[in-house]
Amino acid sequence: MSIYSTAVKKPISTIMITIGVLIFGIYSYLQLPVDYYPKIEAPIISVFTYYAGASAEDVEKNLTRKLEEGFGSLSNLKKITSTSRENLSVIMLQFEWGANLDESINEVRNAIGMVRDLPADAETPTILKLSTNMLPVIMYSITAEESYEGLKDIIDKKFIQPLNRVEGVGNIMEMGAPERAIMVNVDPNKLDAYGLTIEKLGAILTANNINIPSGNLKLGKSDIPLRVEGEFSSSEVVRNIVVSNTNGKTVYLKDIATVKDSLKEIDSHERANGEKNVRIMIQKQSDANTVTVAEKIKEEVEKIKKTLPPDVKVNALMDASLTVQASISNLSETLLYALIFVVLIVMLFLSRGRATFIISLSIPVSLITGFIYIYLTGGTINIISLSSLSIAIGLVVDDSIVVLENISKKLERGGFARESAIYGTSEVSLAVIASTLTIIAVFLPLTMLGGMTGILFRPLGWIVTISVAASVIVSMTLVPALSAKMLKFKDPSRKSLGGKLYWFSQGLLGKMDNFYSKLLTWAVGHRWTVIIIGTVIFISSLFLTKIIGSEFMPATDNDRISGQVKLAQGTTFEETVKVADYLDSVLQAKYPEIVTVSSSTGAGDANSIVAIFTETGNYIINYTFRMKPVAEREKSIFKIAEEIRTDIKKLPEVEKFYVDAGSSRASSMMGAGGGNNLEVKIFGNDFNETSVIAEKISNSMKEIQGIKDVLISRDKDKTEMQLTLDNEKMTSFGLTTATVAKAIRYCITGLTATKYREEGNEYDIIVRYDDKYRHSTDNIENISITTPAGKVVKLKEISTLKTSYAPPIIERENKVRLVKVTAALSGTDIGTAKSALEEKIKAMDIPSGVTVDFGGSAEDMKEAFKNLALLLLLAVILVYIVMASQFESLTEPFIIMFSIPFAFTGVLLGLLILGSTINLISMIGTIMLIGIVVKNGIILVDYTNLQVDRGLSLKQAVITAGRSRLRPVVMTSLTMILAMIPMIFSSGSGSETWKPMGIAIFFGLTFSTLVTLILIPTIYTIFGVGKIKRARKKTIKSSK
Amino acid sequence: MKAVFITYNQSIADEVQEVLYNCSIRGFTKWTEIMGKGTNNGNPHEGTHTWPELNNAHLTIINDDQVLPLMIKLKELNDQVEEQGLRAFVWNIESSI
Repeated sequence: MSIYSTAVKKPISTIMITIGVLIFGIYSYLQLPVDYYPKIEAPIISVFTYYAGASAEDVEKNLTRKLEEGFGSLSNLKKITSTSRENLSVIMLQFEWGANLDESINEVRNAIGMVRDLPADAETPTILKLSTNMLPVIMYSITAEESYEGLKDIIDKKFIQPLNRVEGVGNIMEMGAPERAIMVNVDPNKLDAYGLTIEKLGAILTANNINIPSGNLKLGKSDIPLRVEGEFSSSEVVRNIVVSNTNGKTVYLKDIATVKDSLKEIDSHERANGEKNVRIMIQKQSDANTVTVAEKIKEEVEKIKKTLPPDVKVNALMDASLTVQASISNLSETLLYALIFVVLIVMLFLSRGRATFIISLSIPVSLITGFIYIYLTGGTINIISLSSLSIAIGLVVDDSIVVLENISKKLERGGFARESAIYGTSEVSLAVIASTLTIIAVFLPLTMLGGMTGILFRPLGWIVTISVAASVIVSMTLVPALSAKMLKFKDPSRKSLGGKLYWFSQGLLGKMDNFYSKLLTWAVGHRWTVIIIGTVIFISSLFLTKIIGSEFMPATDNDRISGQVKLAQGTTFEETVKVADYLDSVLQAKYPEIVTVSSSTGAGDANSIVAIFTETGNYIINYTFRMKPVAEREKSIFKIAEEIRTDIKKLPEVEKFYVDAGSSRASSMMGAGGGNNLEVKIFGNDFNETSVIAEKISNSMKEIQGIKDVLISRDKDKTEMQLTLDNEKMTSFGLTTATVAKAIRYCITGLTATKYREEGNEYDIIVRYDDKYRHSTDNIENISITTPAGKVVKLKEISTLKTSYAPPIIERENKVRLVKVTAALSGTDIGTAKSALEEKIKAMDIPSGVTVDFGGSAEDMKEAFKNLALLLLLAVILVYIVMASQFESLTEPFIIMFSIPFAFTGVLLGLLILGSTINLISMIGTIMLIGIVVKNGIILVDYTNLQVDRGLSLKQAVITAGRSRLRPVVMTSLTMILAMIPMIFSSGSGSETWKPMGIAIFFGLTFSTLVTLILIPTIYTIFGVGKIKRARKKTIKSSK
Repeated sequence: MKAVFITYNQSIADEVQEVLYNCSIRGFTKWTEIMGKGTNNGNPHEGTHTWPELNNAHLTIINDDQVLPLMIKLKELNDQVEEQGLRAFVWNIESSI
């Protein structure tokens, strides 16, 4: 017995199973965590190695190159990029998507183990797996006034410690916290006078600040351990330490140095809205959920706030969960509107409450299977899964509509409820299954996409496939079962409200039917005119590709702007701070849209992880702006960014800067893609050659309209003071380079001699030259160095001091040095900008050792578009296969496929009219269209075949079939088309991402449906005539 | 004894069965899902994609006096749902075991 007759005969079982599925679906839905994207683990492993005191070139030569050679044989390795800068080498290993990263990490570890002769001073390389999890969930800014000095302790104890205990919280990083330290600032002249050096002082301090267990003391019957407690009891003690007893005279530390219990001098200036602040970045654990973690953190922070001193203020600088929640609620709204539109359309066409109810019921039942799938695969509710549901909503009603329509036709002819339900379903079952298979033929290949596109669209493929498959089952079980029980066919009275609506809409639809059948009769009579017009429309629409721009992913307004301002190389920290403070006040006053301006100036702690991701330096200011939510402001972040650019340009001190709306630079570094930047890579080992070309390219980029923030990644050579040691003299004194370098470092940077302990906290005691003895070359040259023999030598005796230049940063990709010229786009698109630039580059004279290539979004775009073109081809072939086997014919699917090119025409028109671009999202939408538009053709051609088989003439068959199938075709298309409207017109957070897909489906389907209705019957008659002629010839032959 | 052969669209199977029951006819032979086509008009019932409907048939051997009420009831049913193509034919039974 077939599934539908069982369902009709056992309505209770059918309804119970449906309720069971609904309950499981709702349970799954309630269990699902919310996130922005599906989990993305970018296949990137980075290796960073500190090499204190080495210049960029040294780091490159001794560390980066050797490691890169070692990594050459890693399996699945796609790209090696590296940055060598002062003290630090960072190598990013980019693997193929889908590579097993745990295995890769082991391989990387082995490869590092195999690399020999790394410099002894370099630290062991650290391996780090990058993922979007590294992006902070929440960033707080903590400001304080009176308590500023003690802020670090307050933060450590009251803020970080409790937050660390919150479930799901990973790393907490603090930036710009003032650190208490005891500074011992020495007067070098006095030091010399007493024959002391910094090292000696350090040793004395250490020797005075220790606790030593001194054995056990037997007192009668007890055995008691004895300890010498020599640690400093207060910071006051330090100044009274005896450092020397020359000539019987006691010298105290305070005699030769000033001892201050204050803050460590840091070259970092953190401000939020112009106030001193400490930034706290909280990362989540990799498997934790952004929204849940953020909620818990916020809850905890509210509690913490009460325990803090009144002048300590905590403000959220960034909260990833807000963006997530805003986009999710926005998409849920879109979904709801889509549902309403679909129900309205069904209502308008059927004008019968019960029929509409049955069809509307099939929507949640089909969609909810999507949630069950997400739950079972451990996914999340994210923008991809919700958008998939919005797309599915217009598709899942189709099957139910076709089935219900046929059942009601049977009922109208006087059939009995049960039988009409069974045979009504049976008649259309094949067509319904086939048209669903074409949809699946398009969506299933999406699940096979690789790379970043795959991560984004695999869930979409699965969710649509599963819910559409579920909708077929629903249309063959629940719909007939309910129809048999509920449908009654009796013309409604003309008086009741429902009745009026019914007669009104039926009248309207009747007019539509008449108009269409007239049009169709004309078209069939003027076949070639119709076909020529169609061809002209399609071919001329292809020229639109020249006008419509292209980009990788549409940029989204995520309430965030980041920026960087660089002053001239070598500008002092203090000068930079002045500029930062000025800019802070200007921007804060000018833009009411900005909630927080947070700036960070200076190098800060160069050894923290943060330093790897953001370029810092004494002449660099990094900005993060947080805006009001999209709904509460009129200007988009792109417009504001543009205005900020003009503000920054006004400052003469600024040498280079960028303003990055949406912070796409950071996310693209994590391999998350998105954003729109143009990146030109100039490969070549010669610094000068590549720099010249970079300069040329940067200049020609500036000429192209819409290109902003043109930056050359390689800064100008850095001025250095270089001490050249005279080896001969040095050895004669028994000194080595290491001892000399160390001595100099202690004098300038300071020696952390020992730690002062108070209430469980440790503070550094730092000994160095007093401020006034650290600021001239004379001071440096007069640094005293003690030889092993105890003799004191001045630095100038063994070395010469001179100024030199060195590149501050060396970047490499696949073992070749490169310079990147990057730019942001505003008011243009990547495709246009890229081709304009390509023209200019062609005209340049590029030396043989230098190659120029595009990177960034352009590179991603090229790769993704290539994949999508293949996918498009695959979809077309699969759809053809499905149709050919359904019709058992090669020509009929071919006729139906004529609706596909017009879908493309529609897409292009839509993109042009609404000013959108050809991008990843609109292309995916176009691919989906292939499956969706042939559905109309299938309904039409299938029914025309039926009419021909039933003995009608070709023209008659075409017109009858057209007239009778017009309503189902228009109805199923309209449900899909209108379901896209909320997607197109939504303006909420993150809506930009899905807009192009909405546009593509809306216009593509509309245009293709209109054309299909006229063109497909016309082409059918041409092929049909041929078929009939052939059949006639055959009969004539055989009769002879 | 007469034989009555009834063919009809299977979508009215339950109704035909009910007619037999109401006429107190217990015995019959039934074929389901068979093809058929009317002599003059109506759609063929062929169970194909073109003509998806199918017929059922009942053959029942009844006493002469039962034939008329049965035929009347079947005619009533056919009048109600003319498009379902209900037909009934009666002939004599020579002998039986």
